[in-house]
Amino acid sequence: MTTASLQLVRPAGARYEGLLLATAAAVIVATLVLYVRELGRHESHEPLYDWQVSAFDTLTGPDQAIYNALFTAKDDIPYIYDDINIDTPDNAVFRWPSLKDLQDSELAPFLHDRSWEQNGSVKWTLYEPLAKGEMQGSTMYLGTDGTHPQQGSFLLVVGHTHAGVQNKNVISIWWNAKNHVVMPQSGFRDGLILQGWREVVPHSGAQEVKRIFGDDSASSTSTEEDQKQADQAIQGLTGN
Amino acid sequence: MLSPIRSLLKMPVLAMLAALTLVSHAADAARLKVGITLHPYYSFVANIVGDRADIIPLIDADANPHGYAPQSADMIRMMSMDVLVVNGIGHDSWAFEILDAAGMRKKLKLIYANDGVSLIPVAGAPNGEKVVNPHTFISTTAAIQQIYTIARKLGELDTANATFYRDNARRYALQIRKLRAEFDAKITGADLSKFRCATMHSGYDYILQELGLQVTAVIEPRHGVEPTARQLAETIDRIKAAKVNVLFAEKYFASKLSDTIRQATGVRMYSISHISSGKYTPEKFVDEMRENLNTFAQAINDSSKGA
Repeated sequence: MTTASLQLVRPAGARYEGLLLATAAAVIVATLVLYVRELGRHESHEPLYDWQVSAFDTLTGPDQAIYNALFTAKDDIPYIYDDINIDTPDNAVFRWPSLKDLQDSELAPFLHDRSWEQNGSVKWTLYEPLAKGEMQGSTMYLGTDGTHPQQGSFLLVVGHTHAGVQNKNVISIWWNAKNHVVMPQSGFRDGLILQGWREVVPHSGAQEVKRIFGDDSASSTSTEEDQKQADQAIQGLTGN
Repeated sequence: MLSPIRSLLKMPVLAMLAALTLVSHAADAARLKVGITLHPYYSFVANIVGDRADIIPLIDADANPHGYAPQSADMIRMMSMDVLVVNGIGHDSWAFEILDAAGMRKKLKLIYANDGVSLIPVAGAPNGEKVVNPHTFISTTAAIQQIYTIARKLGELDTANATFYRDNARRYALQIRKLRAEFDAKITGADLSKFRCATMHSGYDYILQELGLQVTAVIEPRHGVEPTARQLAETIDRIKAAKVNVLFAEKYFASKLSDTIRQATGVRMYSISHISSGKYTPEKFVDEMRENLNTFAQAINDSSKGA
């Protein structure tokens, strides 16, 4: 009777097999982690510069409400400008809507209604463009002294083109964390930033559509085109 | 049989009739066929285009746009549209399923009504999470912003009527702003400091913000999603702690949950229209927003009196 003996025969590549398997698993896991972290990342908002503030993420309560009202008012102001200057002769000076004009159009946040009271009864002042200097070519509506604690101030700037002034034809909205501020010394972006103002950036429906559908969203017009049209509209209004 | 002379006399008449028919067909072909997904967009477009374009609702008037399941008839309707006005930020996601099913995703022009709206987060979201609120159409100011966007984009597609659309949009915007003036008149002298509200879902955040009213708590963690027992208990505690005295619930979708909260906290409940059911009409948005504002005014006045 023979005795069976057990002999363990190791495959030639046994030394590396486990190592290779572990390496392959590690590579797969690392790839998945990288994919989820980088490719799978879905930024919810456009990145902001230091001198900007998000209406969606940062502003709250009355300040967010005032901003959203201003955001629609910026579309109405050029229309009202058209209305009030319709009979102005071409060689005369066109004027920008006064606060009374805006209130007569029932336009928030300028209208003194209960919503205005609830949002801090912010005091608005209109600064018409000056003929010379840094304030040339900028109409501004300044809102300050809200009654809520920690309420900031607002500035709606209608930039437009006049001879020799490099100003962009857009309406921008700025926010200052201070409750009381005086009239800015400059209507230009850099000057406003130096004086503590931050441009408010909305999270717009266009950005949300882009977030949901990506760049593939088949809109009839894009936000950039809208901006271009707004620029042209203001150029048309102020090109005199 | 007509005499040759009479036949000749009739020819110009026939030619004129033929020409008129051709002109009429050309005019029909030129008329925009504007599709819409939600009831407010029907009212918006109707007030912008007047009688110069046709409006085609994508889904039946009695269909519930919350969790709508697309039907084959929707695809047929979509085929006849030149352009479709959509919410696009979460309230009509089924429209994109219909677009895909009909193979129209790349073919049909879309107007994203919210393109120019400054969106706000859902109030009272769990853990302070910032989630986009898609209920931009239950509003006045955000509605006006959408009306301007729709008018501008329809004007790009139908340049001959662009000025007409813009002027109509402005007139309609003023009509909506007047609703706010009516609302203000109804709450003259009311003490707003006593008004503390919760809402069943986040549908009224835009209009409440525009009225200068803050939402203390939202019951449903997501629209149409009922809270867990623990979430509900926490919300009830929050309502009691914040001395909330008003609860706004959806008019046509009453739930037992709102009754439970009312019983547990003693809040008064008021119903607000979501403007998302019933017949499509040009007047619907203004009529239902006026009704909503009357309800808000009633709630404020009741709180003010401590009723």
